[in-house]
Amino acid sequence: MRRALAGFITGQPLGAAGALVVLVLILVALLAPALAPHGPKDAAFAPYVAPGREFPMGTDQLGRDLLSRVIWGARLSLYVGVVSVLFGVTLGALWGAVTGYLGGASDTSSQRVVDCLMALPPIILALSLMAALGQSVNNVILALVILLTPTAARTIRSVALGVAATPFIEAAQAAGASQSRIIFRYLIPNCMASYIVLVTTNISYAIVVEASLSFIGAGAPPDEPSWGGMLTAGIQALETAPWMVFFPGLAISLAVFGLNLLGDSIRDLTDPRLRGGLG
Amino acid sequence: MTMSLRRLTRLAATTVALLFTLGIVTAAPAVAQEKPRLGGVLNWFDYGDPGRLDVHAESPLVVQQATAGIFSGLLQYDPDEPSKVIGDLAERWTVSPDGKTHTFHLRKNVKWHDGQPFSSADVKATFDRVLNPDFKSPKCGASLKPMVASVEAVDANTVEFKLKFAAAPFIPSIASAWCRVAAKHVLAKYGDLNAAEAQIGTGPFKFKKYERGSVIEWEKNPSYFIPGLPYLDGVKQYILVGGPTQLAAAKASKIMLWDAWPPMRKTQADELARARTDVDIYQAPINTVFFIYLNAKKPPFDNPDLRRAVNLAIDRQELVAKALEGAGVPCAILDPKLVGDFALPLDEVAKAPGCRQPKEQDIAEAKKLVEKHYPNGLDVEMAVRQVGNYVDRGQLVLAQLRRIGIRGTMKTHESAAGYAAFGKGDFTIIATQDRAMDVNEPSGVFHISYTTESGSNYGQYSDPKVDELADRALKESSREKRKQLYWELQRYLLARGDHASVAVGWVEGWFFKDKKLRNYKPGLTTYDNNTFMKVWIAP
Repeated sequence: MRRALAGFITGQPLGAAGALVVLVLILVALLAPALAPHGPKDAAFAPYVAPGREFPMGTDQLGRDLLSRVIWGARLSLYVGVVSVLFGVTLGALWGAVTGYLGGASDTSSQRVVDCLMALPPIILALSLMAALGQSVNNVILALVILLTPTAARTIRSVALGVAATPFIEAAQAAGASQSRIIFRYLIPNCMASYIVLVTTNISYAIVVEASLSFIGAGAPPDEPSWGGMLTAGIQALETAPWMVFFPGLAISLAVFGLNLLGDSIRDLTDPRLRGGLG
Repeated sequence: MTMSLRRLTRLAATTVALLFTLGIVTAAPAVAQEKPRLGGVLNWFDYGDPGRLDVHAESPLVVQQATAGIFSGLLQYDPDEPSKVIGDLAERWTVSPDGKTHTFHLRKNVKWHDGQPFSSADVKATFDRVLNPDFKSPKCGASLKPMVASVEAVDANTVEFKLKFAAAPFIPSIASAWCRVAAKHVLAKYGDLNAAEAQIGTGPFKFKKYERGSVIEWEKNPSYFIPGLPYLDGVKQYILVGGPTQLAAAKASKIMLWDAWPPMRKTQADELARARTDVDIYQAPINTVFFIYLNAKKPPFDNPDLRRAVNLAIDRQELVAKALEGAGVPCAILDPKLVGDFALPLDEVAKAPGCRQPKEQDIAEAKKLVEKHYPNGLDVEMAVRQVGNYVDRGQLVLAQLRRIGIRGTMKTHESAAGYAAFGKGDFTIIATQDRAMDVNEPSGVFHISYTTESGSNYGQYSDPKVDELADRALKESSREKRKQLYWELQRYLLARGDHASVAVGWVEGWFFKDKKLRNYKPGLTTYDNNTFMKVWIAP
């Protein structure tokens, strides 16, 4: 285990850096109640206090401790990112794998649905969904699931088509295995590498979309400690209190950077062509 | 005779001071006599898109702003002296000895923007519309209906208003920017005043263009009934939603005036002062109350204990300090700066439950009231319109109510959609809603938000004693007795503490005017003096 870890660090130094950022992000999110010095919604202090000993990231326009909000923001961002991606990518992966394997009318019709969904600009689609569903964290997740599902379906379908043409699937068919057995026992496990890459790369995408929606006032409710929402408040006092933009902006950038590095690294490790081995 | 050096110096200083003073004295008339310059377009902004333009049927400021220069009233607040009522379409008016009949003598040869002649029939059609019990007129109608019995056209140029009683607020109300006169033939043609085509008035400007969500434009009315006015060629109102957009436009010199709701906050004013030296920035009251509304017709706030708990828990001083950056008068039901001694002394107000500091006692009491009915606290949805800094204010209200076990989630509404929802009673709490006074008169706030039939009694609360006191004060002709009645009413509201309209305080804020803008004087309410009939732009 230790040797594998050392191998990962030396072989994928950027990936290791990304993993470290993600690990910190996860720890901060999990330990938010213990780490945050104050409640994220407690407007108990003076507004616009510059970063200093008492408030390392300063306070916002309502006198809330920005450090506490950034810490709780990690929890919200990760929650939205992970849950939406797990649901969206899993649903899309199942959809793509099953219809790709079955082929025929079900595949053709489902791919036209995917075409329609992918033709819509993602942010516009997410905005429309939020306008229809109303502002809440869970509705952001639902909007993201709807955004992520078709992309995952399209990607996993192409992988599934390749897997479906392999001799071991043909052998299973020849042996009389049922379709559900072939799909769930042989096909899907062989699409898992692509699935994992999709999950890791899309978490950062989901975090950015959530932040963007919150930034334009269509994401998480305004009092929720969302990094995007914090940016919105910050731009209203950009000259007076630049820290209100700087710290949430830094948090978004670091999280997305770390997740992207990790995602790229996982892709490199799981892609046989990039691994230089079996491809 | 020799003069000491000290005496000589003093004499020289006195002479210089005298010359300086004379210089000022002679310079002042030079400024006052500056010849108005014709031409130019005044650019300012509306905080939101009005959507509908019927000044009689709507209540958002943006509707009034969009149409202010198009229509004239019978009377108006003097653009040169905003506290004074002067004639507009009425060149003079008389009052009967019993104070119950007001006769308005109209200007002759006034034309509508479409060339049709103006007459008393238009005035009657307007006020018959506004006073119709079946017509919802939240501003003009709401203020006149309790007072006016009938309107009659005596002849083509004379109109008579019969009042139910001698009402002191009648003249200020009829001069309100919401009681504008519309053309009878336009009302007959369009049915209402919502369409851009129906904006046919007698005012100094004609309605030129309304691009939804973008801009409203007026152009000079060359046939305006006051010769030589207006000075401007037009007025352009950009629809700018959100503080950052508004401030960005101000900093980029895209707007010349910011003198309507929402005011700038101090941080914004400071930012503007750093960006522009060609503007005068000033702090002023805006004759507007910051309310929180509880829906008294729906659980949980149909329960007086819960309303009392909210009234106790709201820390008005904190809200004014943070949400208004200190610019406001917390707790007051009437603002002494605006209505003088009709307002209860502020030191008395500051001792009332819900206002007294420190806050611990009120919070503990409020918590007990909540726990009595909801031992585990309760969850409510709080509505806010996405205008001004309402979302920030709403978050503060949420934080304050959390202290007593009321957990809120915020539901934001686009401006017009919010008004529609609130008017239908489709809310539990409105976390923040400013209500501007239609007239600078002590009766205003009570008939706007506290009495049963008030146009902005969104919480639909009814208390016969409030109605009775407000009604008695309205009908009282003795100033001193009126004052006593309003004091009694304010004391009653503060002591009872379960009203569904929770007054946080009177709003003040920062505004600016481009130094080139001449002859603009802010009105006593945010609605007045928006016609720009005498405003001009210096080179």
